[in-house]
Amino acid sequence: MSEEIELTGQIVKHYGSDKGMLIPMMQDLQAECGYLPIGHLRCLAERLDVPLSRLYSVATFYSSFRLAPKGAHDVTLCMGTVCYLKGSPMILEAISREFNVEAGGTTADRLFSLQAVNCVGACALAPVMVVDGKYYDGVTPQSAIEIIQAFPCEEETAEPSAKEGAK
Amino acid sequence: MNTAAAKFAAPADIEAFSQAVRGKIRADSKVVRVCIGTGCAAKGSRKIYELFRQAAEQSMDDVKIEAKCVGCHGFCERGPIVVVEPGEILYQRVEEPDVAEIFRETVLGGRVIERLLYEDSATGTRASKAEEIPFYAVQKRIVLENNGRIDPARITDYIAQGGYSALAKVLSSMTPEDVIAEVEASGLRGRGGGGFPTARKWRSCREAKGKPKYVVCNGDEGDPGAFMDRSIMEGNPHSVIEGMLIGAYAIGSEQGYIYVRNEYPLAVEHLGTAISQAREMGLLGKNILGGTLSFDIEINRGGGAFVCGESTALMASLEGRAGVPRAKYIHTVESGLRNKPTNLNNVETWANIPAIINRGGRWFADIGTKNSKGTKVFSLVGNVRNTGLVEVPMGITLRRIIDEIGGGVRDGKRFKAVQTGGPSGGCIPAEHLDTRVDFDELTKLGSMMGSGGMIVMDEDTCMVRVAKYFTEFLQKESCGKCTPCREGLAQMLHILGRITDGEGQVGDIVRLEELADLLEGTALCALGKTAANPVLSTIRYFRDEYDAHIRDRHCPAKECRGLFRYEIDEEACKACGICLKACPVDAITGEKKVPHVIDQDKCTLCGTCWEKCPFTAVMKV
Amino acid sequence: MPTVTIDGQKVRIKKGLTVLDAAKKAGIWIPTLCYHPAVASEASCRLCMVELDRGDWRQLITACNYPVRQDIVVYVSSERAEKARRGVMELLLARAPESRELAALACRMGVEKTHYPSVTESQRNCILCGLCVSVCEQVIGRAAIGFAGRGAERTVAAPFRQASEDCIGCGACAAVCPVGTIKIRLHKDEREIEISPFKSRAKMVLCERCGMPMYSGQVSREAMSKVKIGRKAFTEYLRLCPKCRRTETAERFASVPVRRE
Repeated sequence: MSEEIELTGQIVKHYGSDKGMLIPMMQDLQAECGYLPIGHLRCLAERLDVPLSRLYSVATFYSSFRLAPKGAHDVTLCMGTVCYLKGSPMILEAISREFNVEAGGTTADRLFSLQAVNCVGACALAPVMVVDGKYYDGVTPQSAIEIIQAFPCEEETAEPSAKEGAK
Repeated sequence: MNTAAAKFAAPADIEAFSQAVRGKIRADSKVVRVCIGTGCAAKGSRKIYELFRQAAEQSMDDVKIEAKCVGCHGFCERGPIVVVEPGEILYQRVEEPDVAEIFRETVLGGRVIERLLYEDSATGTRASKAEEIPFYAVQKRIVLENNGRIDPARITDYIAQGGYSALAKVLSSMTPEDVIAEVEASGLRGRGGGGFPTARKWRSCREAKGKPKYVVCNGDEGDPGAFMDRSIMEGNPHSVIEGMLIGAYAIGSEQGYIYVRNEYPLAVEHLGTAISQAREMGLLGKNILGGTLSFDIEINRGGGAFVCGESTALMASLEGRAGVPRAKYIHTVESGLRNKPTNLNNVETWANIPAIINRGGRWFADIGTKNSKGTKVFSLVGNVRNTGLVEVPMGITLRRIIDEIGGGVRDGKRFKAVQTGGPSGGCIPAEHLDTRVDFDELTKLGSMMGSGGMIVMDEDTCMVRVAKYFTEFLQKESCGKCTPCREGLAQMLHILGRITDGEGQVGDIVRLEELADLLEGTALCALGKTAANPVLSTIRYFRDEYDAHIRDRHCPAKECRGLFRYEIDEEACKACGICLKACPVDAITGEKKVPHVIDQDKCTLCGTCWEKCPFTAVMKV
Repeated sequence: MPTVTIDGQKVRIKKGLTVLDAAKKAGIWIPTLCYHPAVASEASCRLCMVELDRGDWRQLITACNYPVRQDIVVYVSSERAEKARRGVMELLLARAPESRELAALACRMGVEKTHYPSVTESQRNCILCGLCVSVCEQVIGRAAIGFAGRGAERTVAAPFRQASEDCIGCGACAAVCPVGTIKIRLHKDEREIEISPFKSRAKMVLCERCGMPMYSGQVSREAMSKVKIGRKAFTEYLRLCPKCRRTETAERFASVPVRRE
């Protein structure tokens, strides 16, 4: 509870309590927690004197917000026009089938969260997949699966949870 | 003059500083410029820069050698791109092992490495400089002029190239009216899509009652397949800031906002650095350059919603609400952000302002067509040989952009259509390729200028599927507030879905047209009003493809699953067994030396055999 | 005062009022759904489309929020305006096929049925007009409900789709709902009032005399805090249910001896 108060307090202070900065505040909160926990949102609403329904509305309107914890890794697949024309729907289908995860969801073992986004603006590299901030170009259904399958071995050595905590 | 931490107190200081910085750069100094735009960075250019930096540091050469990060060169197809000064030698597709060789041969030895130069695939000639490459030769760069030259993280670089001289000129010798008149003379129209005359917008906002007034930069580049604004924000953020400062002076504003898409972290970072540098040097804040102008800028990151490119939705987002548009019967220049007069322009529009002030509105107006002046940046992507960012004079034909700059359709395929204007734009067929790029001309064809996406499609692209893609995109991105957009697009998607599934019904085209008409007339905002353009333009130019889907249950481009079959060409099949093993449903039979056969009843049309066959013996029929 | 010419009929209205205001004054009916005089017009349903004469061209506008700033000419019964309204109504009917209220309005407009199949449903029979959201925020001042999601997924919901702590159970949302989707449910045994479909519940105040649950306790507290004069009489008024109040008044009269001269 005190953590909620402290964190939201810091964030609100950083933006000078400006209600117009609600979206950046929520982004910062998500960057800290990995998602938007209900308790933190309640705290934020109280501090800013903004109705909770407004925060919920914002959190569900913008596609970058999530209300549930995400996986250890972020897999973002670009569905922009060029990537689409070059086969990104097939890649999405392949990942979904292989790992039993829907776009916008997280695998049961919390290994990764899968996102299908509009366009990452790297059309010359199409089809593009972004994994934890690293861009992969010219991805195929097969190579996408291979990239993701490389996760678990990496995890044994690198401990992604520690990485996240340091963020 | 100290070139490290100056704070400008008067307009004349900028020129003096610029000269001081330039004087420091010795004529014989050498610079290695490494592109760190998103495209090149994705291919490892950061590491390449790091290697050059280390090499430069360890170099015993008596000439000063500098490795520099620069913004997008535009030729993303050939990334990572490295340019060596002097000589402006452009190396493409540079990899880590090449660094040592480039450093030894070119930087120190002054010799060109042929292998890394651009080679024209048609003539086989190699080009050592950018201007010798057709991709660049046809372009005219105003907005992108300094992209690829300057380090976006260093304000001194920008000033050394003449940056902020337009601001100095405005503050020392022009009234706000003069500024607006200059912009008016240039004929500049908004680059975000609408094409509204910039000067007229500024004047309305200047004359509007109410204080404070806001100046906003729209960096919510949401069109899939477009990255013009991203490259400008990443590669030359100060040009945007300088444009906004001049606009703020002309309009009478003290507070600006830059609204950047959440998907552009590098743009946010570079803009943030640029703003704090400008503040430190007295270019943002109170009494700028010792005058009466006080202006500051805040960056606001978007949350991931295409509709926020719409002005009122963007303002709602800036107010910390969901990005839902409202009626614009009262314009935002009168009542925008927090119900105050607000002037919103797109990134590229702002970035054009310094050049217009420096070189004059007349000069700008000499470029382009009667009603579309200056240049336009396009992201040329899709099935074209050279993809990347291009800046061309208005009035150039689509054919020249695609054939001369883009090098034509890739893989020897036939051209089918070029899609311009983003999701609300349209698809233009081959017979209109000689159309000139101009706001009004593109609109006449049922497409539009939009923010500058240009997606080339080849013969293998199903146009019904393209229409469905954009409709689906817009349906997902619709805010859901007004009935026609929310319900109408869902209805259109429903119809398009059954057509591409081979269940189209006679009369579906008329139904689509009716819905399109309803959307155009009754939707609340521009997103909804133009949402049917992709459907209308594909019906207009590719009606035969719709008919083939509906009447013959056949997809001529062989893209729509179920509307074509896979078959194995007996002659071409080498009976290698690869497809047989790869088939996930065991639909392929055959033995050694016997051509394989696909059992059509079992086949799920997944396409694995088609992908895996090394002899292209699997055909779509 | 600017003059608005509607279908040839001239009316003068105060500057800043809307085309809908002008039409009302002229006695011309324009169908509306998301319009309510108590809240700001959002023009989200798009049912009130009329044509505005712009000289060389005509533009479809929403009557409910188009501000009249100078003399204008509009057409309510032009072919294009009627077609636009019919089209919007057909889309709404496909979304909320079971609403009797909507069907009745469609009937009045001459729309008998929709040509469209039902392809969207984020909330049963809700047309997402937003009146409930507006009234809760602007009139009641609670903002207990809001929009959630976007596009075809958009719905009206309390935060996290849980019963809202901000809801006082006043039922204003149900009162303004033009399609009868929001309902007030009484749970007599639990002495609770529920606002459906938001799952919010509030404890009810019981009639002091008969014990019948009357209204939400929070509503009476809110109301009390706003009463400035006649507070005592108001408290008295809230004490009993209408039936018991009548009984009590009758008893009071009965107990007073009738004066005979």
